[in-house]
Amino acid sequence: MILEVKNVKVRLGSSEILKDVTFKIDKHEMVALLGPNGSGKSTILKTIFGVLKPVGGIVYLDGENIEEFSFKQIARKIGYLPQENPETNLKVIDVVLLGRTPYLGEFKHPTKDDLEIALNALKSVGMEGFEDRKFSELSGGEKQKVMIARIFAQQSEVLLLDEPTAHLDISSQIEVMELVNKKVSDEVAAIVTMHDINLATSFCNRILMVKDGRIVYAGEPNDIITQSTIKEVFDADVDVKRFGSKIYVVPKAKVQNNKNKRIHIICGGGSGAELIYKLKEIGYQVSAGVLNVLDSDWHAMMETGGITIDEAPFSPISKESFEKNLELIEKSDLVILANLSVGVGNILNLKAALKAEGGKLLVVDKTPFDERNFAGIEAEKLYKSIIAKARVFKNEGEVLNAVEVLLKG
Amino acid sequence: MYKLIPPLILLNALIFILCLSLGPSSVGFYDVIEVINGKADTNTESIILAYRMPRIIISMLVGSALATAGCAMQALFRNPLADPYVLGVSSGASVGAAIVILIGIATTLNTMLAAFVFSLLTAFIVYKLGETKIGLPVYTLLLAGVAMASFLSGVTSLLIYLAGKEMHQIVFWIMGGFWTAQWEKVWFVFVPIVGSIVYVLLNSWNLNAILMGEEHALSVGIDVESFKKKIIAASSLLTSSSVAVSGIIGFVGIVIPHAMRLIVGENHRTLIPTTILFGAAFMPLVDLIARTATESEIPVGIITALLGAPFFIYLLRRAKV
Repeated sequence: MILEVKNVKVRLGSSEILKDVTFKIDKHEMVALLGPNGSGKSTILKTIFGVLKPVGGIVYLDGENIEEFSFKQIARKIGYLPQENPETNLKVIDVVLLGRTPYLGEFKHPTKDDLEIALNALKSVGMEGFEDRKFSELSGGEKQKVMIARIFAQQSEVLLLDEPTAHLDISSQIEVMELVNKKVSDEVAAIVTMHDINLATSFCNRILMVKDGRIVYAGEPNDIITQSTIKEVFDADVDVKRFGSKIYVVPKAKVQNNKNKRIHIICGGGSGAELIYKLKEIGYQVSAGVLNVLDSDWHAMMETGGITIDEAPFSPISKESFEKNLELIEKSDLVILANLSVGVGNILNLKAALKAEGGKLLVVDKTPFDERNFAGIEAEKLYKSIIAKARVFKNEGEVLNAVEVLLKG
Repeated sequence: MYKLIPPLILLNALIFILCLSLGPSSVGFYDVIEVINGKADTNTESIILAYRMPRIIISMLVGSALATAGCAMQALFRNPLADPYVLGVSSGASVGAAIVILIGIATTLNTMLAAFVFSLLTAFIVYKLGETKIGLPVYTLLLAGVAMASFLSGVTSLLIYLAGKEMHQIVFWIMGGFWTAQWEKVWFVFVPIVGSIVYVLLNSWNLNAILMGEEHALSVGIDVESFKKKIIAASSLLTSSSVAVSGIIGFVGIVIPHAMRLIVGENHRTLIPTTILFGAAFMPLVDLIARTATESEIPVGIITALLGAPFFIYLLRRAKV
């Protein structure tokens, strides 16, 4: 066991930051420390490195109490990357060479070997050719890779990385994690604090969840990242999904309290699907009719689970369905006539729309009606009367805004 | 960038000879040769050996000391505006000098000793004020220095106000200059200045590390708290020694490190040696202007401020683009 943290307690001023932290880590392990801000993740790293002295418990490095070591000795064994991002005009190579500090003599004169190690470290993070650039002129991702090269040049057996992916774009985040992951495969152990649970589950083989100065859950990602542990540790509502062998976390959609309002959508042929999904997302009850079974709008309704009046595939609307539709229209809070195409089979849907109260009837008039009318003059007349009494909108977005306004107020 | 060091050493030698050869009296380069050959008369010899020589050596020591202390402070505080006087050392020295002048025991050496003791004492008090349970946060130290400096400036002003006749003497001392240079002063400050400069020089690698931030310096195995203390001690010794022999000479400690940074870059392993050498070359040259430009002597602090401030503004404008 290369590193062992045993019953460690740390106090800063009067507050106890770490209450009782115990864990072990071995070579080839990449462990993520997950937890909310202020939970003690960074403190754990600082205590392992010996910056903070525990008031209780011991940190063992290679079986020896860390307090026995000088900073110089610790720096040879542990590569610690603090969270604070340095700002300096030093050249990249000078920054990486600083990683050789614990190996230099009294006069701090780096040898050819030191320079070679530094250059190799730069190469290993894909920053070859950057050695004479000013550090301050690099992008955020490049800076972090240089810092990783600095701790690689330190040639330590344990890496402690405090939020190495913070403020980085997604490709740099992945790059940094891959670099550490690769390093771990050659005889190194790494502890990484982070906020991105998905990044942690993708790259780390073990996760420690920290809350209020204690490790509350520890184990493999698939075992401990669950809806309930995340609720407990972060007080966040998420869904945990599986994708192949990996798991990932997505926020649960916040459902507003719109459940007592129902919107009826007269649609078909895909003209209503967008409205169905979006209204459902905002939290309204949605009903639709009359739809043919297997129509894409019908699929949307089946998926979201609202009341649907349906007919067999490719059959015209029956009298019975028409009546049911009228009933639903009558009882709904708003009725939307989608941008549907009208044929002889579904002309009854227009008639139903016309029966709706003018005040609660919204029409999406996106495509000119004559381009989607296949039922002749009768349909055209019906549509004109509908337009005359309803509120008309150019697209689905406008209708959704109007729904919000009408039903909120 | 080490390439710059031999030309700078040569420059120092040339300036040394130039300053030895020029002055308000008619003693010139030819007389210097005569002195070396032992053929000069006693008057010429005393102008060169007892007057100009210690003056040039002191100005070289003070120039390099202030520039080095400024450079170290800028790295330690990670603040380009830090200078050797941030810890209130110069205000402390003024109080010491003013007291000695006021009570009427102001020989050259007494003033020097009082300024030296008071400035070191000030640095120590500021250090103690800035110290906290968790170490020595540089911001607390900076604020303690600013507070102490303004308090002691008030004390100095009060002493000047009370001084009456001696007022000129105090004000003249504060303005800074090398006209009181003598070999005793050289011997007094030689060891503390050269010793501290060598210490800073040997620690330029650690200054690079501390430039990255204290946690980063710690993470490469440097005992940051102990290193900060030592650098503060060395800088205080450099500044106190300089102020004790030459009064308060401004801008050298800020401008020279910055000018060198523009030329050689931020790496302290080249920045510190070039700063030391450039400071040593710059100061006697400015002092040469001070003692030859007009009939009577201009305090050198006035010239460094008049030259230094516009140059500094130029650097700031340049850095903005």
